[in-house]
Amino acid sequence: MPDKDKTDPSEDGNRARDGQDGAEAAPKPRRPFDRGFGVVAALAVASGAGVWVTKGPETFLRIFFEDLGFAAELLPKIAGGIILATALGLALPRDKVLRLVGPDSGIPGLVIAALAGALLPGGPAVTYPLTASLMAAGADLAAAVSLVTGWVLLSLNRTLVWELSFLPHDLVLLRVLITLPVPVLLGLALRWLRRRRQEARS
Amino acid sequence: MNILIGTVLIWIAAFFAVRHLRRTAPAVMPRLWQQSLQTFLFMLPRVPAGLLGAGFLAALLPAALVDRWFGADAGVTGILLATLFGAVTPGGPFVAFAIGASAIKAGAGAGALVAYVSSWSVVCLLRTISYEVPLMGASFTRIRLLVSLPVPVLLGLAAHVIWRSVL
Repeated sequence: MPDKDKTDPSEDGNRARDGQDGAEAAPKPRRPFDRGFGVVAALAVASGAGVWVTKGPETFLRIFFEDLGFAAELLPKIAGGIILATALGLALPRDKVLRLVGPDSGIPGLVIAALAGALLPGGPAVTYPLTASLMAAGADLAAAVSLVTGWVLLSLNRTLVWELSFLPHDLVLLRVLITLPVPVLLGLALRWLRRRRQEARS
Repeated sequence: MNILIGTVLIWIAAFFAVRHLRRTAPAVMPRLWQQSLQTFLFMLPRVPAGLLGAGFLAALLPAALVDRWFGADAGVTGILLATLFGAVTPGGPFVAFAIGASAIKAGAGAGALVAYVSSWSVVCLLRTISYEVPLMGASFTRIRLLVSLPVPVLLGLAAHVIWRSVL
């Protein structure tokens, strides 16, 4: 058991670090122009054409230059966010985190799992294998759900890089603050359900 | 102004994170710059495309309709509707956030936006189908989605109430 605890997660930690990347992305080296970009570009072109036709070229050009200027203003912030997120990911002791989320870790274990999900950068190709190896090392379903939920709802990387680029700061802050307890609450709900089922059985 | 403050704060935090990393693990410094550059280049075409799409879409969205269905006065209906839309929105973060930004520009309320973003985050069909089910199994995915079901609606309601009382 202790052996397994040590080898499995750290192995995966190394693999995960090599595969980690800034945003939610594919496991392979990312092509700059993939299907996701195609969708957004198509959306922009189609809605741009729609604006040109229904509102006239003046409105089209006004929005075009307004948003391009906005994008240019955002780029320094995005660069800072990327460096911050990448540095945090490299600085966090991933292997130590994994050892702390054992089966008898109680609420602190759920909190650590949720924090790990929120803070460790990397897309689905990193986070899911990490969670799976954690469960293989003895973490329960509740801790795994806390980790995945912490990642999907509160990923620091995604919030710094994407959410703050597109949405107003005050709204992002409000969303993050009210979402903070959610991953742990879901983990607690799962443990409570499991206990009730065990009680019903016995 | 808002952007400037955010930029400065983020750069200050980045400075301390990089300094910490250089002191504790100088060996990873090249990887830090290489990965950061890669991510930046990845985002470079996506940000203008996403913002332009959001701007054009906002101009096309009938503001009266958005206001009626997703505005602050739409209340629970708007939050439920936004949750539904969030669950079926395909694509990566820039698609969902760009759509959210358009809706805000066209008059959507805080509750609907938070419900939309939360619902998209929890469900994210593409990610769930292509990563979670193969890597974690259908049972894990089902349990996670089931316990997460009330989350977007509750968060939307909380955001709605708090936003109103703050303003």
